[in-house]
Formats: sequence, C-alpha cells, structure tokens
Amino acid sequence: MNRKRILLTLLGVLALVFVVAACAQQPAEQPAEQPAEQPAEKPAEQPTEAPAKEVDFVTWYQYDQNNEDPKSDERVGNQYLRDTIPQFNEAFEGKWNWVNQPKAFDKMTAELVAAVQAGGDVPDLFEMSNTQDMVDFYRHGTVQDLTDWAMAQSWWNDLDASAIEACKGPDGKLYCIPISIRPQVVYVWSDRFPDGFSKTPEAFLEDSERLKAEGLYSMTFFGSTDKGGEGLTRAMWTIISSYGGSLDDGQGNMKLDWPETIEAIEFIRHIVQQGYIPEIAFAGGFQEEEAFKDASAGSFPTGLFGYRYVNPLTAPDGTKYDTGSAEDMLNAIADGQVVITHSFAPEGKKPGCGIDVAGFVIPVGAKNVEAAYDYINWIMSPEQNPAWVQGPGGGFPALKATQEHELFQTPFYKQAAEAVGASACRPWFGSLQRPNEAQEMVMQVIYKLIKEDPTLDIATELQKVQEEYNANN
Amino acid sequence: MTQSQSSYSPSKPHRKRDWLPFWLILPTVVVLLAIQVYPALYTVWLSVHERKPAGWTYVGVDNFRRLLNMGLFKESIGHTIIFLVGYASLTMLLGFIVAMLLNRKMRLSGFYVTLLFIPWIIADLLTGIVFRLLVFPDYGIFSGILQNPALFPPDGISILTAARPKPWFGDFPFPPSPAMIYLILASAWRALPFITLLLLASMQTIPQEVLESSRIDGANGWQIVRHIMIPLMLPTLVVALFSLTLSGMNGIGMVFSLTGGGPGTSTEVLSMLLYAIGWRQLYFGRAAALALLIAVINWLLITGTLRFTRLQERSIS
Repeated sequence: MNRKRILLTLLGVLALVFVVAACAQQPAEQPAEQPAEQPAEKPAEQPTEAPAKEVDFVTWYQYDQNNEDPKSDERVGNQYLRDTIPQFNEAFEGKWNWVNQPKAFDKMTAELVAAVQAGGDVPDLFEMSNTQDMVDFYRHGTVQDLTDWAMAQSWWNDLDASAIEACKGPDGKLYCIPISIRPQVVYVWSDRFPDGFSKTPEAFLEDSERLKAEGLYSMTFFGSTDKGGEGLTRAMWTIISSYGGSLDDGQGNMKLDWPETIEAIEFIRHIVQQGYIPEIAFAGGFQEEEAFKDASAGSFPTGLFGYRYVNPLTAPDGTKYDTGSAEDMLNAIADGQVVITHSFAPEGKKPGCGIDVAGFVIPVGAKNVEAAYDYINWIMSPEQNPAWVQGPGGGFPALKATQEHELFQTPFYKQAAEAVGASACRPWFGSLQRPNEAQEMVMQVIYKLIKEDPTLDIATELQKVQEEYNANN
Repeated sequence: MTQSQSSYSPSKPHRKRDWLPFWLILPTVVVLLAIQVYPALYTVWLSVHERKPAGWTYVGVDNFRRLLNMGLFKESIGHTIIFLVGYASLTMLLGFIVAMLLNRKMRLSGFYVTLLFIPWIIADLLTGIVFRLLVFPDYGIFSGILQNPALFPPDGISILTAARPKPWFGDFPFPPSPAMIYLILASAWRALPFITLLLLASMQTIPQEVLESSRIDGANGWQIVRHIMIPLMLPTLVVALFSLTLSGMNGIGMVFSLTGGGPGTSTEVLSMLLYAIGWRQLYFGRAAALALLIAVINWLLITGTLRFTRLQERSIS
C-alpha cells in the first residue's frame, strides 16, 4: 500500500515538473506566427504611446561598454557604446533606458536561438554581425519579420539594394536591418610588393618566389578548420570567387566541382606546398595574423574590419606601430606602409570577394519592440549613422547618404572603396540554406586537399562532400 | 477505549515512521526530477524533432539517420577511441608509478603531493591554452626546437599543423596525428594528480605485513605489484578508470582550447562534434541524438568495465 502511494506521489511530482516545464516553454511556441504580424501592427512612424515611466530597452552587442581596456580587441565598439548609451538615454529621456548586455561574439547567435526556443529572456534588439546568421535565425524562427515596418520608414529608399537583399530570408521577407556592409579585402605591406600587389595568379607566383628567396612569405590567411570553418569565408572564398568559382548551384544544392572552383583550390594547394604560406596560417585561433604583424608575410586577405585586430605592427623597414589598438593599422595605411587592395584574378576575370552586412534583428519574444524601432530610427539618423558604421559596423554605410560623410573619406576607406569597386563581391554561401554546416564541411575538405594530403584528387573529394550535404536537402 | 480504536492504534505510529523518510528525501527527489530526469526526457524528445521556421517538427529517427550518414561521425568515433585508450592508460600508468614513488618514505613527500596537485586546480580550458602557447608553429615557446630539421629530420615537427600519418587499418585513425598525441599528453598531465592521489590513498591501505611477508617469501617488485597490490587496489583502480573514461568521453574544454578539433579533423572527438553540431551548426535535434548515442556508449563502457572487474575479482578470489 505504502509503496503504491509513494509511487503515485512520485508520478504526481513528475507530472507537476512536466506541467511547470511545459508552461515555461509557452513563449517558444510563438515564433511561427509572431514575425509576420507584429511589425505590421505597429508602424514606427506613428506616434508611439509614451509609457508612464522610463522602460528598459535591452540590447545584445558583442561589445562591452564597461570594458575600458585600451588594448581590448573590441576597443572600438566598447568605446562606441560608452559614448552613445548616454546620448540615446538623453534623447529618449522619460521613455527608454538603454541597457546593453555584452555577449561573446562567437556564442551570441546560438545563445539567441536557444533563448527564443526556450522562451527565455531575449533582448529587444540584437546586433547581427554577419549575413549567414540571418539564415540560421530564419530557419529557427528566431527573428521578427520587419518588411512592412522597414518599408514605411523614411530611410528605406536610401538603403543599398544589395544590403537589403542580404537581409531577406528565403521567403523574400526582410528579417534584418542592414546598417553596414563588410567586404573582404587584401591588406598588403607595400614594401613587400614594390610594384603593387600582384594582379594575376601568375604574377603572384613570381612575387612569392622572390619573397621566398628572401626568407619571407607572400601571404598569410586563416587556413585552419578552426571556428567552424571560418577560414572559408575569408581568403578561401576570395580566391575561389576570383577564379569565378562557386559553392552552390543556385538552387540550394551544394556544388563544389565547378572547374573554376577546382582550379582555385589547385592554386591554393600549390602556394601552400611551395612554402609561400607560413605554417602559422594553419594553427587556428586567428594566429595567422602574427605573420602579417611582423611583416614576414607580405599580404593578408581578410575582412575590412580586420584592421582592428591586427596589431601591433612592425613594418618591413622596422617602423613600429605599437599602440596595440586599431590606430596601428590606420596609421600604417596613412603612412603608405600598408595598402588595401583587391585580390588577384586570372586574366579576363574580375577579382572576387566575400561580403556581409552588419545590422539589427528584433528577436521573437522581444518585450519592447517599440523601443527597438525607435532605436533603429535613431541609428539611421544622419547624426548617428556614420558613428555606428565606423564603430560596431566596421564597414561601409548601407545608407547612401552616409557614404559621403567625412568619416569615410580617409585613406583607409578610400582604398577599401576602390578595392571593392574593382571586385565582384558576393556572399560565399549563395543559395545554400544551411551555411554553418556547409562552411564546416567545405573548409574541412579544402584543408584536407591543400595541406593534409595534397595527393588527393580534388574533384573526387569535393564531390563526396557535396553528396553528403545534398543528401540532407 | 473501543475495540476498533485498540485494533487501529498500533499501526498509526508505524505509518508515521514509514512516511517520514519519504518526506525527508522528497526535496531531493524533486530537484533530481527537475535537473536530471526532465532534461534527459527533453533530450529524448529533442532527438526526434527538428526546428523549422514554423516551429518544431516531428522527424522520427531522421536525426539519428543523418548522424549515422555523416562521414565525420564515424571518424569521430575512431578519434574518441584513440583518445580514451591513450588518455586513460597513460594516466593510470603514470598515476600508479607516481603513487608508488610517493608511497615511499622520503623527505618532503608532503611538498611533492602539494606540487603534484597544481595541474588539477587549473581549468582544462586554461591548460589547453597554455599547452597551445608552447607549440604554436613558428611563434611558440618550443617551436624553435620542434621545428628544427636538425633535431627532427627531415622538416621538424609542427604539432598543431602536422598532417596525420596514413592509417594502418582502413579508415581507423591509427597511428594518431601529432596533435592527438599532444592532446593525450596534455589531458593526462591535468588528470594525473587526482588519479595519483586516489591510487596513493588506496596503496596506503595495503597492510605492510602483507607486503613484507611477500618480500620475505622472495617475491620481486613486479610480482608484488602484479599479485598483491593490483588485486587489493582493484576497486580503486575501477573508480579511477571510470573517472577517466567519463571525463575523457564527455570533456570538451581541453580539445576546444588546445586543438579545436584540428588540424583538419584529426582531433575531432565525439564531444567536440556534439558541440559543433549543437552550438555552431545549431542543429539541436541532431545534437540531442548524438548526446543519446554518447550516453549509450558511456553506459556500454561502464557496464563493460564492471563486468570485467567482477570477472577479475572472481578469478582472484
């Protein structure tokens, strides 16, 4: 009898735990419907109801306003938040109080997806730093549809068309607001390439041989499989796209065995096997930067925003740029020691590069959507937009009006604009709907082909990977 | 007092006595249900669902099928076996030797034990970073020695980037890559203090008379270890082996910070793959399926070890 009662009580407790858990999960069930409806109901242009007292407006940035370390990698963004949080709070005094919760750059996307699914606390606004996150957000029903609201705003028609495209989900709806366009470029020590950076792969091989004879490397890049295959999005894609290659068939299937892609990988394999690339390029953990910092490698294809992290620098002539901050690279560029340029490309082809957008998404379950709308409009204002693009954005303005701002007339931005203007930039994942999975798989096979076993047949290995990926389409 | 009262009264205090322990353990049971049973059941639920834009969709065994069709999954099992065997056997062997040394009466033995404990108090994530700094190609503290062709012909060794050797047995990743060997060494270095102290404590419970009489009977060192110490320490050795197996199977900190699963995929063990699928690729359903498979492997390892131990104990007795 007693045993039965104990059993029944335990079952009761178990049922109670399930009920509590199920109740806690309720908000996670909302994502599917919410995105389409919410923005349409509350256009920001309409005067919003003033809350009775100041309400917290919560954001997730990868930057930390409380980190005042001048040598912090994220110094630029940290300073930006320190400067602008008081400005926003003053502009919306009595209405919103901006509270930023700093997050790790490589964990925040997963954290948001998990938080929305679990019905946990989500921010009112999330700083999105690359386009492929948007694909994941869409797949998980993490973010709200902003189409109707965004199209009703005064700045909509001034947005760069390609930036808008990058923010669209597979269903054609807008899920993010682009603020900054982040291209991939090539940083070059001008003394290592006295006649300018190589224009063709053949010229690059000649320069590489010359530098090798001097005990130097012609290039360093993110060559490891670390960080989920992040290297693919950088130098690998820059070279593949410069050869005219692709990683998809335009229909959502992975297709790696394009002749141009194979040719590009063959070229990368060659420069690795010839010893033109330092070993540190394959160590992961962003250690490839070391070879550019001490100028032992002459060039470094990476993101435009990379200038913030690659420091301190020692130029080929021994000049030191050692403040240990983003100023080092900017000063080296201003002195003509470093130039920003585009990739080389085979004769008759336009250099390629990867491109991303940084901007904002509003998570499903955000408590204060009105504040998020106000914040985006505030950031889009001529007074605030340039600072965001230069600060957290680390790229070019998505708003055409901001492109003319004096902040973007420096040697750094002018050179970058020329490099991007001479290139055909596109997102590396094309029509692929599972970019994170694809990124990891493709970078692993490229690593295998260029470094681990250079005797393998490129086409065969690429076909194996694309078949494995496409089997799950 | 009525008849009915008198017949009922003896059982009343008995019932009270029976229920009290239940009420006392109830809070623990509730906490266990909430933090262990519920997550376990939720993992099972997740493993048969997949997230779509419209919400969760039931996919049956699809997550398991996708996992089993994944080339990297099969490869990861091989890496995990190599890692577990290397890590557990090296740590046990070194732990036993160090415990034997510390078991001898010598000066400053307390100091040595304190020193020995240092690796254990450092987080595995930090240990990984430190070991990584030692062997960075070109820039690491020991890279000048390791990458010196005169010392390591023909081209020197770059531990974090060296290609793995051609496998001897089909696709099974043996011999392991230099990075895997280094990962095993680093992991063993960190686990060594705990295992050593565990074995030392056990060693100190062996009656000195038994050891002395065996010596008088002419047993040599190896015979004492093989026929006296190991059988008497068997329960502790099993606990140590459990601890190593489970930490090696489920731990990710060291792999994450030391090799990140690389170079290529040569140190991609199951726990690292679980992290990649769940937190990098955001397939929570598939990650849950993998977590269940890992749990099954854990269970097999534990029951296998237990059965082996029982057989050993039986044969000894």
